Amino acid sequence: MKFLKQIKALLEGVFIVFKHLFKKSVTLQYPEERPVVPEKFRGGHTLNGCIGCGICRKVCPCDAITIENEGKNVTSYKINLRKCMFCGNCQYYCPVSAIKLGKKFELATAFEEELQVELVNDSNKSKEDNK
Amino acid sequence: MNYLYCAFIELLAKYNFPEGLALIIFPLLPFCIVAIGLLVMVLFLVLAERKILGFVTQRKGPNRVGYWGLLQTVADAFKLLCKENITPSGADKFLFTLAPVIAFIPVMLVWGILPYNAEFNLMSTPANLIFYIFLAFMPVLGIFLGGFASNSKYSIIGCVRAIAQAISYELPIAFSLLGVVVLSSSLNLSQITLSQYSVYGPAKWFIIPSFIGFVVVFISVIAELNRCPFDLPEAESELVAGYSTEYSGMRFALFYITEYSMMFANAAFIVVLFLGGYLSPFGGYLSNILWGDSITANILVYFEQTFWFLFKTFIILFLFILIRATYPRLQSHKLLKLSWTILLPLSIVNLFICMLIKFIGGAAG
Amino acid sequence: MMKGWSGMSKMKLNLGPQHPSTHGVLRLILDVDGEKILGCEPVIGYLHRGMEKMAEGMTYLQYLPTVDRVDYVSGFFNSFAYVSAVEKLLKIEVPERASIIRVLLMELNRIASHLLWLGTYLLDLGAVSPFFYTFRERELILNYFEKISGQRLMYNYFVFGGVRQDIEYIEEIRPIITTVVEKLEDYEKLLTDNPIFISRTKNVGILERGEALAYSITGPNLRASNSHLDFRTQSGLYKNFEYKIAKAEDGDCYSRYKVRLEEIRESANIINQAVDLLLCKPGDVNIGLNPVNITPEAGEAYADVETPRGLTTCCVKSDGSANPYRVKWRTGSFYAVQILPKLLIGNMISDIMSIYGSLDVMLPEVDR
Repeated sequence: MKFLKQIKALLEGVFIVFKHLFKKSVTLQYPEERPVVPEKFRGGHTLNGCIGCGICRKVCPCDAITIENEGKNVTSYKINLRKCMFCGNCQYYCPVSAIKLGKKFELATAFEEELQVELVNDSNKSKEDNK
Repeated sequence: MNYLYCAFIELLAKYNFPEGLALIIFPLLPFCIVAIGLLVMVLFLVLAERKILGFVTQRKGPNRVGYWGLLQTVADAFKLLCKENITPSGADKFLFTLAPVIAFIPVMLVWGILPYNAEFNLMSTPANLIFYIFLAFMPVLGIFLGGFASNSKYSIIGCVRAIAQAISYELPIAFSLLGVVVLSSSLNLSQITLSQYSVYGPAKWFIIPSFIGFVVVFISVIAELNRCPFDLPEAESELVAGYSTEYSGMRFALFYITEYSMMFANAAFIVVLFLGGYLSPFGGYLSNILWGDSITANILVYFEQTFWFLFKTFIILFLFILIRATYPRLQSHKLLKLSWTILLPLSIVNLFICMLIKFIGGAAG
Repeated sequence: MMKGWSGMSKMKLNLGPQHPSTHGVLRLILDVDGEKILGCEPVIGYLHRGMEKMAEGMTYLQYLPTVDRVDYVSGFFNSFAYVSAVEKLLKIEVPERASIIRVLLMELNRIASHLLWLGTYLLDLGAVSPFFYTFRERELILNYFEKISGQRLMYNYFVFGGVRQDIEYIEEIRPIITTVVEKLEDYEKLLTDNPIFISRTKNVGILERGEALAYSITGPNLRASNSHLDFRTQSGLYKNFEYKIAKAEDGDCYSRYKVRLEEIRESANIINQAVDLLLCKPGDVNIGLNPVNITPEAGEAYADVETPRGLTTCCVKSDGSANPYRVKWRTGSFYAVQILPKLLIGNMISDIMSIYGSLDVMLPEVDR
C-alpha cells in the first residue's frame, strides 16, 4: 500500500510539471520588452533647483557626491556612480527636493569616465542624457 | 533485393553511373545516414531538452540564435570547437584524450544495431541484442577513464560513482531483457520487433506481458544514462561536474554528444523491446491502406515504419526530459540499494512471469 | 575512531569557496574516505565586508541604507534590528501604524526569503523546476517591494521613528498572498510525498534539541528540533496578531522543510491580519524626526528580531557623538555554519547539500 502511495506521489509530481507545459511563459524578453519601472524607482540621478546646502553629501553613505558652490550658486555637482549604491538618502533628505533618483536603470558602462556623472542644475536631465 | 535498392540503381542508371558503383555505394549509404542522423539528432535533442525544460518552468528556452532558437545548439557546438582543450597538470595525457573517444565510438555502433525499419538494419546479426547490451555499457568505461585520468578529486568520485551505478543497473536490465528474449524466442532485434506484430496493433507488444520489465528497464536506462534523478556521476550541486569537471572544448563536446546520442539509442532500444519498434500502432500500415500494394506504397512503408519508430522514441525521450525536470537526485548509496533490493528482484519476477506466459501460450498454441 | 568502508587513507576534499551550491562563498575542508565524511571544517570570511567596523566611520543615518546588505534576501529584518536599536538609544516611540507596516513588510519578506530557500534547496537536491516556480512567486513580492520602496532588495524603507512613507498599493497584497498560498499546494504535491525527496531528507542531518540550543541555533532550524522558541512571541511588535508557531519534532532536513513551509502559511495569516488593521487604523507612520544630525546620549541599546534564519540582534553603543561607537550584529546563519561539522561527519558526500541547504545558510549574513 505504501509502495503504491509512493508511486502515486511520483506520478503526481510529473503531472504537475507537465501541466506547466501549457502555461504562458513569464519571461520578459528584456531588450525588446521593457520592464515597467515603478514610480518610486531609484535609478539615475537628476538635479533641479539645488541650493548647495550639502546635506546630500552629508547623508551619502559612500561619499559619492562632490559639490562645488559659491553660496547658493552650484558650479559643479558630481556623482560618482562607481560608489553610489542608490540608497536614495540624498533624495529623501534634500530640503528642497532638488536631487531625484529617476527611472533610468541602464547605467552599466565599459568606461570609468562615464561613471563620473556631472549633474546640471536647473534642468531635468543630466549631461549624460543630453549626449 | 528490395524496392529501395532497385530504386537506387534506377536512379543511378538514369545519370549514367555504372552499376558496380551502385553496388559499392549502396551498403555504405546507410552508415553515412546513421552518422549524419546521429549528429542531427543530438543537436535536436539538446535543443528539445532545453526548450521543454524551459516550457515546463514557464520560460521560453533558447530563442535568440536562428528562428525559434533552432540554431542554438549549433552555435554551442561551434563555441566548444573553438575552445582551448585544457589538460590539467598531473593528468594522464594519453588516457585523458582517449577517454572521450572510447565513450563516443560505441555509440556510433549502437546506432547501427537498431532496426529503424524492416530493411534499414545495418548489423542484423543473429544475436545483436547481446551486442547492444555490451556496447551500451562501453561509454561508462570512457567516463571511468576520463574521470580517472583527470587527476581531480571531484572527477575521481564521479567516475567511481559511474562505475558502481553502471554495474548495479546492468543486471536488472539484463534480467528484464531475458523476459523479452523468452517471449520472442530470439536474440535479434528485428526478430523481436516482428514477433510483436499483430493485426490489432499494440495487442502483442511486449509491454503488456512484461510491464514490470518495461518499468525496470525504463528506470535502469535512466540510471545508466546518468540522467536525473540518477545523475550522480555528474551531480553538479555536489561534484561540480563530476567526471567531466576537467574537460573542455571538443573533448567535453564528445562526452556531451555521447550522453545525448546514448539517450536516443536507449529510448529507441526500449521502443524496440517493448513498444513494437517500427510496427504501426494500428496494425496495418497507413500507406498500404491508402495506396494499396503499389510500388509507391511499398517504398513509403519504409518511411512510415521509421516514422512510427521515431514517434515512439520521442515519447520515451519526452518522458525522460519530464522526469529530469521533476525529481530531485537520489543519494548514491540509496541508488544502489534501489537497484539491488527492488529492481533486481522485480526483474527476476518479471522473467518468471514471461516464462509462464510463454509456457501457457505454447501449450495453448 | 571513525573507520570508513574501504579502510584506506583519508582524502582531503576542498569544497568551495567557488562551488556551485555553497550559496556564495563557503569553503568546507572535508576529510573523506570514499564517499563517507570523516571530518569537516567550515572556513568562512570570503564575503566579509566589514559591516561592523564600517559603522564606526559613518553617522547613524549613513549606516542605515547599508544594513540591508547584512542579509540581502531579508533586508527588512536587518533594517528593523538596527532601526529599533537606535530608537531605543534615542528613546523614541514608534507610531502604531508604523509598527504594523513594519510587521507586514517583514512577514512578506519572510515569505520571499523562504521561497528563495525552497527553490535553491531543491536545486541543490537536483530538482530543476521548483526553483523556477518559487522564484516566480517571489517575484510578485519583490515587485511589490519595488513599488513601495524603490528597490527590490535594498529597501531603505524603515527610518528612525517609523517608516519612510505611508504604505501604498495596499490592495495588491491580498492577491499576492492568495497566489503564494495556492502555489504552496503545488510544491507540497511535488515534494512532500515524493519518495525521492523523502529519502534525501528524512533522518538525514538530525539535530537534537539540546544540541541545537547548545550551539545557539535559532529560527526554523531550532523549531524543527521540537522547540517552541520563537522571538516573535517575546517582542511587543506582534502582540496584536494571532498566529501559530510552526514546529516539527524530528530535527531532520525534512522537518526543517516542513517548518519553513508552515511558516509561509503563518506569515500569510499575519499579513492578512495586518492588512485588516492597516485598512481600519489610519494614523502617522513616523514621528517626523529629522535624522540628519542625530546624536544619541552615550549608552548602549540592543534590539532583536526573528528573521527567516534565526535570531538577528543588533547592538549599538553610542559615545554621544554623531557616529556609533560600536555596532555588533548577531545573525542566525553564523551559528548554523558552526554546527555543520557536527551534522556532516558520518554522512555521505551527497548528504552535504541536503544538510547544508536545509540549514538555510546565507553567507553574507555569516561574514557580514
